[in-house]
Amino acid sequence: MTVMQSGGDSRPSPTGLADVIETILDKGMVIDAYVRVSLVGIELLTIDTRVVIASVDTYLRFAEAVNRLDISQEKEGLPGLVGDMQEGGAKHKTKGVLDAATDRLRDFADNSEQDRQGARRGRRRED
Amino acid sequence: MSEGQSKGTYVYGIVPGDVALNAGVHGVGDPPGEIRLVRSGDLAALVSDVNVTKPLGTPEDLQAHQEILDATVADAPVLPSRFGAILTSEEAVANELLDANHDEFAAALRQLEGLAQYIVRGRYEEQVILEEILSENSRAARLTDRIRGADPDASRALRIQLGEIINNAVADKRNADTRLLVSEMEDHCAGSVVRAATSELDAVYVAFLIEVGKDDELKRVVQDLSDRWQGRVELHIRGPMAPYDFVGTGD
Repeated sequence: MTVMQSGGDSRPSPTGLADVIETILDKGMVIDAYVRVSLVGIELLTIDTRVVIASVDTYLRFAEAVNRLDISQEKEGLPGLVGDMQEGGAKHKTKGVLDAATDRLRDFADNSEQDRQGARRGRRRED
Repeated sequence: MSEGQSKGTYVYGIVPGDVALNAGVHGVGDPPGEIRLVRSGDLAALVSDVNVTKPLGTPEDLQAHQEILDATVADAPVLPSRFGAILTSEEAVANELLDANHDEFAAALRQLEGLAQYIVRGRYEEQVILEEILSENSRAARLTDRIRGADPDASRALRIQLGEIINNAVADKRNADTRLLVSEMEDHCAGSVVRAATSELDAVYVAFLIEVGKDDELKRVVQDLSDRWQGRVELHIRGPMAPYDFVGTGD
């Protein structure tokens, strides 16, 4: 039901860090393949946000989610919930770090919106 | 340390030679270097100086790389580089990169003229999709009954079994829903690339190549699917952005 359009008609808006990483670290033209002699190696600080899917952890998480489904429908408020909440809490902590990073990105992007106009098409002008 | 060793030329992407730059745009690195054009023949590269003795890849670096390329695509076609490409000098960019691959890059830019990338991403609403799977899959439903109330350690094997069935069911739904989205968009885009799922609840994750500013059909298709999927998938459209999924890897 929910459709959200991020990005205006002409100018894209800031997006989450995970989306940026998945796009510019995994996609895009690999310059190394075109240039061999003059490449400079540099240390890249990268955050791997990709979830390894189809692992035992994923399976157990799905099973827990199914279990919660039953609890919320039939046995809400039982002591059994405590274990789930502890696990859920750990997940939220991880996510919280990411969200904070994303928020900082947003602030940064807002501040620098004026700067980031990119290249514009036009006749070549001599400086 | 000499300048040649500490400074490099960071390459954001390649554009046609007839673009003009806005002054004062800064890119990656600390401090961020000003974006310049290195021209050769009919091509130009968007570059800035970087200090190669410091690592790159802060959130600000990543955001700057993408924003510069995405802002460009509204006005000119661009071949976006993968993050982190640095050459020794502007001369190397002009000669080794642009000159040496001139015709290939020029042809790719002609193909991308007037086109931008949009990403459609959808995630399953977990509760809705799990209920859907349990109602369709009697084996999963039976396992759920057996696990309920059982000792967690004793039922570990069963829980893994249940989780695997659900994961496979989600993957089947993902494939079917992705096929539907791609076929609905077939007549309204110049190309599409299905991205690998990066979350176990990914429903659809597809990059489309669409005429800049002509995303009405994309919005309509996504809205129609959203209505049809009635709360089981939350859909997002992102773009316009540089065509990251549609450029060559030089193989």
